[in-house]
Amino acid sequence: MKLEEIRQKMDKIDRELLVLLQERMGLAVRSKKFQETASDPEAEESLLARVERMNLDLIERSFTRQLLKTIIKESKRLQEEDRQLVAFQGEHGAYSEVAARRLVAGGAYIPCLEFADVFRGVEEGHFDLGVVPVENSLEGAVTQVNDLLTTTTLKVAGEIKVSVNHCLLATEVTDYREIRLVYSHPQALAQCRGFLARNKLEPRPFYDTAGAAKMLARENPKAAAAIASALCAELYDLEIIKEGIEDGPSNSTRFLLLSREPYTDAGDKTSLIFAVAHEAGQLYGVLKLFAEANINLTRIASMPLRSDPSNYSFFLDFEGSDKDEHVVEVLKRMEDLSISMKSLGSYPADRTTS
Amino acid sequence: MKNLRLASRATEQRTVVKVSSVEFGRDFIVIAGPCSVESEEQTLETARAVKAAGADMLRGGAFKPRTSPYAFQGLGLRGLKILASARRQTGLPIVTEVIDPRDVSWVAEFADMLQIGTRNMQNFSLLKEVGRSGRPVLLKRGMYSTLEEWLNCAEYILSEGNPDVILCERGIRTFETYTRNTLDLSAVPAMKELTHLPIIIDPTHSTGRINLIGPMSQAALAAGADGLIIEVHHKPDEALCDAEQALTPEMFADLMRRLRPLQAFLQNLPSA
Repeated sequence: MKLEEIRQKMDKIDRELLVLLQERMGLAVRSKKFQETASDPEAEESLLARVERMNLDLIERSFTRQLLKTIIKESKRLQEEDRQLVAFQGEHGAYSEVAARRLVAGGAYIPCLEFADVFRGVEEGHFDLGVVPVENSLEGAVTQVNDLLTTTTLKVAGEIKVSVNHCLLATEVTDYREIRLVYSHPQALAQCRGFLARNKLEPRPFYDTAGAAKMLARENPKAAAAIASALCAELYDLEIIKEGIEDGPSNSTRFLLLSREPYTDAGDKTSLIFAVAHEAGQLYGVLKLFAEANINLTRIASMPLRSDPSNYSFFLDFEGSDKDEHVVEVLKRMEDLSISMKSLGSYPADRTTS
Repeated sequence: MKNLRLASRATEQRTVVKVSSVEFGRDFIVIAGPCSVESEEQTLETARAVKAAGADMLRGGAFKPRTSPYAFQGLGLRGLKILASARRQTGLPIVTEVIDPRDVSWVAEFADMLQIGTRNMQNFSLLKEVGRSGRPVLLKRGMYSTLEEWLNCAEYILSEGNPDVILCERGIRTFETYTRNTLDLSAVPAMKELTHLPIIIDPTHSTGRINLIGPMSQAALAAGADGLIIEVHHKPDEALCDAEQALTPEMFADLMRRLRPLQAFLQNLPSA
């Protein structure tokens, strides 16, 4: 092994150590939701003793103890900080995390495998808040999330539109002229088809945009790049070869902030889900209420009911707060017209035009 | 001239090359900027200054074909990103040189127009590549080339399906050593006879002397050139490349103040 190679390997291990530490700190912050006091001397001592029993000849026991104590101390410091735990689906650097960081500043952002984990985690109090994508300006509704919204007890406490800004990312040592393969989620690859063709790059599907960036940072495969968010470049120390490589006009995704508590102030936008009897004019009757009250609807979507696939639930977003008098009136009359109705709450609308 | 199927002038019609909002062959276009992109600060400062002085486009090299392999070779990709950011901030379209066929598609992602330098005029694989790039091309005259050789190189680009070629006279080698090269201004009316393509003048590299840039710019305009490409550096003394021939922003602004009235005067001349 050449010196250069050895240095590269050490560098890679250092990065892996930090990625793992980040993961460990995330778990530490999460654990405070389960225990009464942050410090548990007994568990700490047993952990130290257990790790010390590993026989690693290059790592002195005193060093192990010192290192772990430092890590534990830092975990405790983090636990004592008043960070809100914000869950999102995907790997670190996913567009959901971009949305979470903009909606809640200074939180601890926790990745989850599935959307259902985000919902359940917040419902059960393991997380303070959750951030989920509800619709994309090109692709339409995110059906899994809309489905979960119909059954959840959570409230919507905010929304944000994040414009998709795909970046071509590579590790620092990769020469952009050598890049041949590009890893990303199939949807991101499809949105950058023209760019890839112009530069003769071969698309390689990956389970997730941020996952592709993470893989690149950890494994550094030859002649490869990833398409992901600019946040990924920051988190995984990748170089942005080019920003905004999507072909079409940029699309945006709308995310909802989920909370156990409704938004404290009035808000100026409201989301609700309802179902009406399968009879002529029923839906019209509901929509007429909004028209007559001069309330602007910002989203209407329908989805088959899981419990009764021949029937539909409707998603309605409109301008106004459920504390406004004319809205209260409409909602009251609407309740009489529908089979089921659930308000997800009122929250401040994201007025940026992206 | 044989075999110039696309480059030669068959009719009265002249080609207008559109580079975002700029139209070569219709207006008198002034391109200005540093020889090479050295830093974000230097490029942005110079870009703002030339924009304020009335330049239509920004130049700046990210890849430099230098006489010596030990001279500053350019910032590469980082330079392209700086140019893109200068365009975002000033709105000036960008022209930058490409020297390696492998870079063409990448440079085309960042630049509005690709430049083929004098040393690469007859680099035929590079010409074919820029012919396929979908971007307008600024083709500099080779320092030892005849007009016919030059037009044949334009033909290479045109024959790949790219109709947007602008010629640039930048001086040729003669026995004269006082000037860096000899500016062949007669190439302007000659090319107007031979081809429908627009032609601009580079008074910087052709003279290599600051004091000659102004007079030759005015002469180029009077000779009927479609534009100029001029090196401007906000601190010429600190330039990493061609320090002795870059104008300061003040000198450039002064030149622009004299060019615009001359342009108006020429427009009112009775036609020959």
